[in-house]
Amino acid sequence: MENAKIINLELLDLALAYGLVLLAIGLARLSRIGEVRQMLWASVRMVFQLLAVGYLLHLVFAVRSPLAVIAILLAMAGFSLQVMGGRIRKKMPHFYRVVGTSLFIGCGGVTFLFCGLVVGYSPWYDPRYLIPLAGMIIGNSMNGASLAAERLSAEMRERREEIETALCLGATARQSSETAVRHAFRAALMPTMNTMAAMGIVSLPGMMTGQILSGTEPVIAVRYQIAIMCAITGAVAITAFLILLQGYRHYFTSAHQLRERQG
Amino acid sequence: MGEDVQKAALRLDKVGIVRQGRDGETVEILREVSLSARSGEITAIVGPSGGGKSSLIRLINRLDDPTTGKILLDGEDIQRLDPLMLRRRVAMVLQKPFMFDGTVLANLQRPFLYRQEPLPGTGSEELRHAMELARVSSDLIERDARTLSLGEQQRVSLARALITRPQVLLLDEPTSALDRPTADRLAATFHDICRSQQITVILVTHDLRLAGRIADYLIYLEGGRILEEGRGEEMLARPQTAELRRFLAEPDEKES
Repeated sequence: MENAKIINLELLDLALAYGLVLLAIGLARLSRIGEVRQMLWASVRMVFQLLAVGYLLHLVFAVRSPLAVIAILLAMAGFSLQVMGGRIRKKMPHFYRVVGTSLFIGCGGVTFLFCGLVVGYSPWYDPRYLIPLAGMIIGNSMNGASLAAERLSAEMRERREEIETALCLGATARQSSETAVRHAFRAALMPTMNTMAAMGIVSLPGMMTGQILSGTEPVIAVRYQIAIMCAITGAVAITAFLILLQGYRHYFTSAHQLRERQG
Repeated sequence: MGEDVQKAALRLDKVGIVRQGRDGETVEILREVSLSARSGEITAIVGPSGGGKSSLIRLINRLDDPTTGKILLDGEDIQRLDPLMLRRRVAMVLQKPFMFDGTVLANLQRPFLYRQEPLPGTGSEELRHAMELARVSSDLIERDARTLSLGEQQRVSLARALITRPQVLLLDEPTSALDRPTADRLAATFHDICRSQQITVILVTHDLRLAGRIADYLIYLEGGRILEEGRGEEMLARPQTAELRRFLAEPDEKES
């Protein structure tokens, strides 16, 4: 592992790789499927985004300041929250506050524990570990959060009759929305569960393959993968749980009344 | 008058609802509605859809709160009662019976589940009493509630509302999802329960035939205001306002 050499990709190599995209575009053009412009745009965008990120990370790695690392992570989280907010049409009441705080606590807490106790490197902000690990945790939690928020709002809309029937029978706001919350939680965890079930059999996970490519022993890479999957599961569950726990309340008044249709 | 107020278990005093409309303008849904309902009597609120009937009845168990006015239960302002306690005393049956997952028994046990009280078993006095009142056959008790007919489901939801022995029973269009014979039999059940248990019943319906047959007192609500009120069929026989005359003449409103 120590003397593992990583083959550097030259610009010429990249150009060769991009040839494959051009091949795909050529095929699309020949068969008149269309999508030519979209494919071109998406691939060019991908190249520039990644190059930019590469240089940005290079800079952060060079500076090695905790502030720079934290700023990058916050920017990542903020950006994806923005993207997510734009995508969800029916937002729950107080969407940004609920989702933002839940992500902060869920991802922050898990990342802290994982990096500090499980991986246990130092210094704690070492960007080589913190950025990819936190990135994976944030990315997955964001998906879970988006599913939880979207599903809760749909469930609260569709289950009005059920919820009001329960309220009439003396249920508290929490009791009356139990089914809705349970379904939303399940929906949030579903992709993570599916990934775990398929892992190693259907797919070789990206982090593990990446580590193997850069020379890590497969046995060690697998351990990292197991650990990060556990962290992701924990972070997704905590984030979704916090979103739902705060979220359902906003659909009710303090007198256990379901509010007017909203969100 | 003094005696009337005494016997009135439930009193609405100039109740109004004002909501914010889509374009930001205010919409008056109910306006200065006052009424007294006595125990052992059925008070029916009739009128066209969108006239404020459902908005009105939802105030009585505090599914919603009024913007102005007061609602008194046994002389007590319900705004000052814990809504969960209030809903034990004021039960409600909705237009479409909602059955929770599971058996009829599980559905009837729901109110106890919510209060974290011991669940009454199949042979318990509470269950027998409620099922007898709502005329739910004891054969149904282990059936999956969602497989019952709509009429049976509405009886189960009635039994479920009665199981905690409420003082007031609110019925929001309870028969409108049912066919005529089933609706008539259920209406007779409402009447019997009201008399035998001395419950205050508030019935909201656009079905005048039903209201005329079982209600002791009728209130005609349109545009959020009470336009007429009176003793049962008497009022329907001699409508005073143009609105009620028009409503009586419209076959669609009465039959749908």
